[in-house]
Amino acid sequence: MFVKFFYTLKEVGIPVSPTAFLTLQKALYNGMVAGLDDFYTCARAILVKSERYFDLYDQVFAHHFEGIPLPDNEGFEIDEIARGLLDEWLKNPKMVADALGIDEDKLNKMTPDELIEYFKERLKDQDGRHDGGGKWIGTGGYSPVGHSGYHPGGMRVGGVSQNKSAVKVANERRYKDYSTSGPLTQANIGEALKRLRNLVPAGPKDQVNVDETIRETMRNAGEIELVFDRALKDRLKVILAIDNGGWSMDPHIDIVQTLFDYARAQFKEVKTYFFHNTIYDYVWEDPARYKKPKKIIEFTRNDPETRLIIVGDASMAPYELMAHDGSIHISERSGRPSIQQLRFLAETFPHCIWLNPVPESMWGYTHTIMTINTIFPMYELSLDGLEKAVTKLMAKD
Amino acid sequence: MNENMTQEFQGATKYVLDQELAAIVNISMRLEMPLLLKGEPGTGKTMLAYAIAENLDMPLIVLNVKSSMKLVEALYQYDTLTRLNDSRFGDSKRDVSDIDEYIKMGKIGQAFVADRRTVLLIDEIDKADTDFQDDMLDVLDQMQFDIIETDRTIKAGHRPVIIITSNAKKDLSDPFLGRCNFHHIAFPDPKMMRKIIHVHFPDLDEKLADNAIKAFFNMREIDGIEKKPATRELINWIRALNADPDFRVKDLINGKLPFLGVLFKKSPDYERAQNLTSRKRLF
Repeated sequence: MFVKFFYTLKEVGIPVSPTAFLTLQKALYNGMVAGLDDFYTCARAILVKSERYFDLYDQVFAHHFEGIPLPDNEGFEIDEIARGLLDEWLKNPKMVADALGIDEDKLNKMTPDELIEYFKERLKDQDGRHDGGGKWIGTGGYSPVGHSGYHPGGMRVGGVSQNKSAVKVANERRYKDYSTSGPLTQANIGEALKRLRNLVPAGPKDQVNVDETIRETMRNAGEIELVFDRALKDRLKVILAIDNGGWSMDPHIDIVQTLFDYARAQFKEVKTYFFHNTIYDYVWEDPARYKKPKKIIEFTRNDPETRLIIVGDASMAPYELMAHDGSIHISERSGRPSIQQLRFLAETFPHCIWLNPVPESMWGYTHTIMTINTIFPMYELSLDGLEKAVTKLMAKD
Repeated sequence: MNENMTQEFQGATKYVLDQELAAIVNISMRLEMPLLLKGEPGTGKTMLAYAIAENLDMPLIVLNVKSSMKLVEALYQYDTLTRLNDSRFGDSKRDVSDIDEYIKMGKIGQAFVADRRTVLLIDEIDKADTDFQDDMLDVLDQMQFDIIETDRTIKAGHRPVIIITSNAKKDLSDPFLGRCNFHHIAFPDPKMMRKIIHVHFPDLDEKLADNAIKAFFNMREIDGIEKKPATRELINWIRALNADPDFRVKDLINGKLPFLGVLFKKSPDYERAQNLTSRKRLF
C-alpha cells in the first residue's frame, strides 16, 4: 500500500528508507491507523527523520491525496538559469559582471564551479518570479539581467562573442563540485576530526586505577592500597584562522561555517581568527575584522603544541602575497610581506595545515596556491582531505 | 499482549498535549520503537516523558547523557572496589566469590530488569558521540545486553517506552534515525501558550495572561537575540509578576516590562531587550 506515495517522497529528495516503509506497513496492518489524519502523522513520524523535510512531506502528501500539483523542482530550475547566465558570460563577460555588480577581474579568477555557485547564490536571493520589476532576474523588466528587457547596459541575447576564457568548461561540468555535492556534512566532519584529540591526564586525582590498585594491594600483602589517577581530558589547543574576506570565499561559506560550528562545539580550547585573503600583521577575532585585532607577533606566546588550521582559498593577486606593501588595508603595512608572516606562523606552530575549499585539481592554475603550498601542507576541504590533514596534525614530528 | 499495550496516552495534569503528538506517542508505543523528539529548548520535550509516565502510571527512569559517557555506564557497573574491600575485611553479607553481587544496573539496565513496564527517557542524546548513539540503539533494538564479567545476558522483561530527546540542530546518524520514529515539536503558538499557562495558573487574571503572552511573543521577535525566552521562562515570569504586589497589568499594556532578567539570561540579550522596552516607553 502507498508504494507510489513512498516513491514520490523519495523522488523529491526526502531520505526515506525501505525499513521505515515496512514499519509503516506494520502499523497499517495492525490497525493502528484509523484514518487519513492518523496516516498523515504516523507516516511522517515513521518515514521522515528531520524537520527540514516536513514541508516537502506536506507538499507530497497534498499532491498524493488531494491532487495538488507538485511545485517544479527548484534546484533544477536554478541550475538552468545559472547555466544560461554562464552562456551569457561567455559571450560578454563584462556585461554580466556589471549586471551582477561584481568586478570582472575577480570573476575571471573564479573557477567555473565557483561561478555557478555564485550565480546560484544570487538567484536564490530572488524569492519568486518577477516580471516587470526593477531589481531581480525575470522577463520583461528593466533589470540588467534577464530576457528582453530594456536596460541600456543590459545583456543582449545572442551577443557578439568577444572573449573566450576557460570558463566555457563549466557548461560541460566536468568537475565534480565538492563544495555542494560532496559528502561533507557536519556529522562527517565530526567523524573526520574525531581523531584530532590529545587526551592528557588533568584535574584532581579522582579516578581509581583498578589494575594498579590490585597490584599494589598484592604487593602490600593483601592490605588494600588504593591508587588514584587523573581523568583523561582533551587538552588540545586549536587555532582556527578563516579567510572570510572578499567574495571569492563566498561559494565556500556554507562548508566553512559547518567546519567552524563543529570546531567550536568539539574543542575545549579553540580560538578563531579571521583574515582577508592572506595574513599580514594582524588577524581579527571578530568576523567583521574591525574591532579586535591581534598581532601575529604575539602568537609566539602560545603553546607551540597548538594546532594551527588555516582555512582559505589562497587565491589572490601575487603581489598581495609577495610585495612589502601587499595588504589592501593601508593601516597594516609594516613592510613585511605576507609570505614572510606565513613562514613565521609555520615556524611558530610546527603542527599546522592549510585547508583549501578549492578542488585540488584546480590548484595548479593559481600561482599563490602553489606558493602557499610550499609553506603550509595544504589539503582540500573535503572528507578525504580532512582525513589526511588530521593525520598530519597528529603526527609525532 | 501486555496490558499496558492497550493503554493510550492522553496527556497529564501539567502537560498540554496536541493531538498530533499524542497519536505519534501512541503509535511509537505500539510499534515498540523509540521516539526521537527534537525542538527548541523549552518546547516540553523532556516534560513529555514525565507526562507519559504520570498518565500511564509507569515508573520513569531518566538517563541524562553526558559527553564523556560510555555506553556500559548506562547498562551496568561492576563495583570492583567494594568487592576488593569485602574480600579484605569480609564483614559484609555479600558473597565475595559471586560477582553478580557486585554488578549494579545502570539506567538502561534498570529499565530492562524492572518488574513492570517503565518509561525510559534518554535526555539530550546529542551530547554523546555517534558511537555511543549507535551502540545504544543496538541495545535498545535487541532489548538485551551482556554483562562481560559474568557472561550473563540481560533481557528486557518488559519493553520500556523509550523517549529520546535531542537539542541539536544537526541530524543524528542515519542508522540511528532508521531505528526510531521522529517528531519535531514546534514552538507553541499564542493560543496553545494560553492553554499551557492556564494549566499552570488556573486562577490567573485573564487580562494579565493575555498581555503577558502578547509581550512575551513580541520579545521573542526582537532581532539578534541569542537565546530566545521559552515556555519555562514565561511561566517563571508570570510567577514573578504575580508575586510582585506593586505590579499592575496596566504597566504591561504601557510597555513597561519588569523582571526582564527572568526572560533573558544572557547579558547582551538582556541589554537589548531593556533598551528596546525603554525606548518604546518614550514614544
